[in-house]
Amino acid sequence: MIRRQRQPIQRTRNGFVLQLDADERHLLRRLLGEIRDLVTTAPVGDAKMQRLFPPAYTDDAEGEADYQRLMREELVASRLGSIEIIDAILQDDEERTLSSAEVDAFAQNLNAVRLILGTLLNVGEDDDDADSPEMALYQFLSWLVDCAITALMRA
Amino acid sequence: MTPVAVSASTIVKPESDTDTDVQSDNPWVVLVWNDPINLMSYVTYVLQKLFGYSLEKATELMLDVHHKGRAVVSAGAREKAEMDVFRLHEHGLWATMQKDGSGGGDS
Repeated sequence: MIRRQRQPIQRTRNGFVLQLDADERHLLRRLLGEIRDLVTTAPVGDAKMQRLFPPAYTDDAEGEADYQRLMREELVASRLGSIEIIDAILQDDEERTLSSAEVDAFAQNLNAVRLILGTLLNVGEDDDDADSPEMALYQFLSWLVDCAITALMRA
Repeated sequence: MTPVAVSASTIVKPESDTDTDVQSDNPWVVLVWNDPINLMSYVTYVLQKLFGYSLEKATELMLDVHHKGRAVVSAGAREKAEMDVFRLHEHGLWATMQKDGSGGGDS
């Protein structure tokens, strides 16, 4: 695939440059919008959201109840905040230099999309075949996250 | 850099004081569990970012997670462990916490 040969996130002297075309930006914004809705409306215990809200205590029901009571709202707020950061960047048609915190938010939230999509697709350890549009999307997101991390770690 | 001389008494932690709740002195460990979704590069990056590990240390922990199914990535008092779990959850890692010695080790 030609797509695999380009570098969507480049490290420059002043920061990072995101090179995505309008369709890709549109797609990512739509996905982030879906996550934003799910994070705020999905009922507690929704199976497809389990990877975004995993248990903290597996052998202490009381501790777990406390953690969920105290932290779930924080986790939602943190998620919404970081989606906001990256959505603003994707909305911007002008190419601009990103900070490492912005690239971090980019990776974190595309990864969140992967966690939901991967759960829905029941992705296994060695699922490399893109035999469905959903799997192709999942792999596109994997590639973007990996490019973002590669750029960040080069910093 | 010059090493700072620290007298032993300032770094030796008192053995669990019988007057305090022994339970609360128990260090907690934070575990990251293997999952088929998070990328190896992403997990390594997050461990470096959150805990300040070197690339080597973070890679070693990531490989432990990948091959052994889990790794202890931090330890400490309950509040610290809970905050570490929270930050790992923010980043989408599958993290849990438990009292040290309650089944988190290998074997």
